[in-house]
Amino acid sequence: MKQSFKNTFYPTWLFMVTLLLSHSAMASVQVESWQTQNGAKVMYVQTTQLPMLDIEMTFDAGSARDGDVWGLAAMTSGLLGTETSKLNEEQVSETFNNIGAQIGSSVSRDNASISLRTLTRPNIMQKALNTFETLVSDSQFSQAIFEREMQRLKIALKQKTVNPQAIASDFLWKTLYGNHPYAHPTSGTLESVDKINLDNIKAFYKTHYVASNAVIAIVGNVDKTQAEKIAEQLTKNLPKGQILPGLVTPKPLTQAQSIKIEFDSTQTYYSLAQLGIERGNPDYAALFVGNHILGGSGFGSLLVEEVREKRGLVYSVYSYFAPQKVNGPFLIGLSTKNASASQADKVVKDTLNAFLKDFSNEKLQAIKDNLIGGFPLRMDNNGKILGYISMIGFYGLPLDYLEWFPKQIEKVSKQDVLNVWDKLIKPGKMLTIMVGKPQ
Amino acid sequence: MRSFKKQATYLVTGLALFLTSSLGFANVTEFTLDNQMKILVKEDHRAPVVVHQVWYRVGSNYEHSGKTGISHMLEHMMFKGTKTLAPGEFSKIVSRMGGEENAFTSTDYTAYYQVVGKQHLEDLMRLEADRMRNVVLTDEEFIKERDVVTEERRWRTEDKPEGKLYEQFKATAFMNSPEHHPIIGWMPDIRSWTADDARNWYQRWYAPNNATLVVVGDVNPQEVYQLAKKYYGKNKPEKIEPPKPQKELEQEGPRQLTLKGATKMPSILMGFHAPTLVTAKTDEQKKEVYALEVLSSILDGDDSARLTKNLLRKEQVVASIGAGYDGTDRLTTLFIFQATPSEGVSPQKAEAAIWQEIDKLKTDLVTQDELERVLAQSEAQYVYHQDSIQSQATVLGSLVSVGLPADTIDNWVEQLRKVTPEQVQAVAKKYLDKDKVTIATLLPNGKQAKKSAAPLMHGGMH
Repeated sequence: MKQSFKNTFYPTWLFMVTLLLSHSAMASVQVESWQTQNGAKVMYVQTTQLPMLDIEMTFDAGSARDGDVWGLAAMTSGLLGTETSKLNEEQVSETFNNIGAQIGSSVSRDNASISLRTLTRPNIMQKALNTFETLVSDSQFSQAIFEREMQRLKIALKQKTVNPQAIASDFLWKTLYGNHPYAHPTSGTLESVDKINLDNIKAFYKTHYVASNAVIAIVGNVDKTQAEKIAEQLTKNLPKGQILPGLVTPKPLTQAQSIKIEFDSTQTYYSLAQLGIERGNPDYAALFVGNHILGGSGFGSLLVEEVREKRGLVYSVYSYFAPQKVNGPFLIGLSTKNASASQADKVVKDTLNAFLKDFSNEKLQAIKDNLIGGFPLRMDNNGKILGYISMIGFYGLPLDYLEWFPKQIEKVSKQDVLNVWDKLIKPGKMLTIMVGKPQ
Repeated sequence: MRSFKKQATYLVTGLALFLTSSLGFANVTEFTLDNQMKILVKEDHRAPVVVHQVWYRVGSNYEHSGKTGISHMLEHMMFKGTKTLAPGEFSKIVSRMGGEENAFTSTDYTAYYQVVGKQHLEDLMRLEADRMRNVVLTDEEFIKERDVVTEERRWRTEDKPEGKLYEQFKATAFMNSPEHHPIIGWMPDIRSWTADDARNWYQRWYAPNNATLVVVGDVNPQEVYQLAKKYYGKNKPEKIEPPKPQKELEQEGPRQLTLKGATKMPSILMGFHAPTLVTAKTDEQKKEVYALEVLSSILDGDDSARLTKNLLRKEQVVASIGAGYDGTDRLTTLFIFQATPSEGVSPQKAEAAIWQEIDKLKTDLVTQDELERVLAQSEAQYVYHQDSIQSQATVLGSLVSVGLPADTIDNWVEQLRKVTPEQVQAVAKKYLDKDKVTIATLLPNGKQAKKSAAPLMHGGMH
């Protein structure tokens, strides 16, 4: 029963996944946190009903740390654990696959992570953990695998040049962030990736994959004593390393900008964007509630009502904040047939302007009900819990964030929303991007 | 880049020895209402949450030429209000509950789902039972939503050459079967639908005796049954005319097609007609299906599987490669290979490399190690899939909607365990036949993006 690459499901609307955090008094996810002996942060939640364990190790090793070798962090993350001093590539894969364990890695602007999912039957779990530990602390980087993956990367980067959504996204970051380390694509560019070599990969690995920069999230059927043991095992061979300096704060655009990229597509891919906020920003709750009203909650949000339901211009329209270590973007996105590009642009801007002036109390209450009532859904499985505690750990949010945030939402008034949006969002200084043949 | 290989839900037995948890058994309780609506309930008490899904046995494989995609269009219209609800009100109510909801259409079914705190289950049943029979389809709403679907088609297919390739590939592989047409429908068909088309389709298929209710979560099966009786039990059944057979023709020679699109790299799809548990009539034929499932995992179950190991890592003729087969489709399906050649490698060479792997399967028996790994993966997948109430419900709903027993999932690994290397070889010989292949090739059309010097119509906002 393999759902392969065939597109089987056609949902009624596309749900933009934003990390929701909301809570009510009855919820009970017990998050515990401590440091390992050499200074890695551990985040732990015990769930006992399924015989499985999820672990995610997150490092301050995202593309914001590339320096002038764009794509270095992503290549390092992609090669991490392909070989160790004891196991070649095939043996690494087979070790996990033979016991039904899964490993994965991902990289973003802020961080890189490697994860493990395994059954907790003792001999299986121990085998999985032993090998997983060596992937992180004893990763070897071979020239042959590097060259192969570089070829594959170049193919992917070439493909991006004819993907209108990717083109729009790359221009958005480049224009909003200028010289900031967030400005370039995580995977680098065709022009930049030739600077990556085995030496700078090994150096990046050595300085970034260290205990001081690590957060280990553990969720599943292991008790606290076991979790402590696991965290020590996973970090004991990592160098302690240095905590990296913080990133500089990016500067917002000083005037409105419009970028048009001609591409032979049937739709125009559209974004309206500006700088948003950093994780932990005190205005986040009010911005978040407002964004749900504007375009963050699918059906029922103002943008979906205006652009899709009233006018039939799009299948999907959304808005979101992507809070990061330093200000991530705020953006509104959609795609519409070329003939209605300028109409959609106008409706989006009118909707945003109207929202910044006022919205109904009823809408506010409905969104608060949704966010607060939906709490149990955000925490109903191991995979979701893992995502939250990884984030809380990495961004240094308070341990009780999960209780604290919904209380903030509860308190948000209409005036709060209007005030913080007015303070942050500058309609006269936004970036408009259109890729396609907009009319 | 390595990423999580989303191995789809492999289904595995609940009897696996190491499942010592209280959830060891897939405890599904089944009911049937007097109006013939099926109900499946699975308890999962980890969180005070419930997923509520209603599945209709209708999808793109029930459609005919000229009206392709009407099932998907109707799915969109189901959010447009009933005799007692305004358009969009259904979603607003669910949202205020703190719920998540959506719907999806596939080849064999259309499903509507909500995930909510368990205290809201009764309200949902009232709403969904109302939507089963009382939707009001106005011309005005229909026309607007039809525009939305054309935008959806542009976004999914028109501007995605891989999507277009897959669509044309299927249309070439199937001549008479409704697998010939895409779920979303052909654009000219979409444009010519009328509200009456949707009304008739709704009247014909949306009835309790053509539906299955699936509830998974923190519930008591008897209570769910009582509520279902109270709400869904009121709905009158329809006389359901099964669709015409539209059996696919025997293929008598290889088929080829080429598409030029906005890509920098060529890619290929290769497909072979294959049976499923639904099309299989005898136990022998069902065994073939499990052998094909094992075969598909040996080729592409994980990153130790043959295609990645041999063609991507060892020979490096491909930059990406995969195989796919779904033995739970309702109609004759395809066993598919998909590849992007490496830089400087022709599509023909990538194709030849795939044929080489196919020939190996025909001449040499697969190893015991490979079989063991398929089983280990499947058993683990079973546990992992229980992490999500949504995926548990989706597996049950999809099985029952194509006419398979709900316990297919419980017997899955047992069936895989019975597959022998000889059976794998036999199905490879029988189905992966050089004369029965359809090959679709995507080639670059040379189009580029360029930054325009002309300013946009509107600059900043005023």
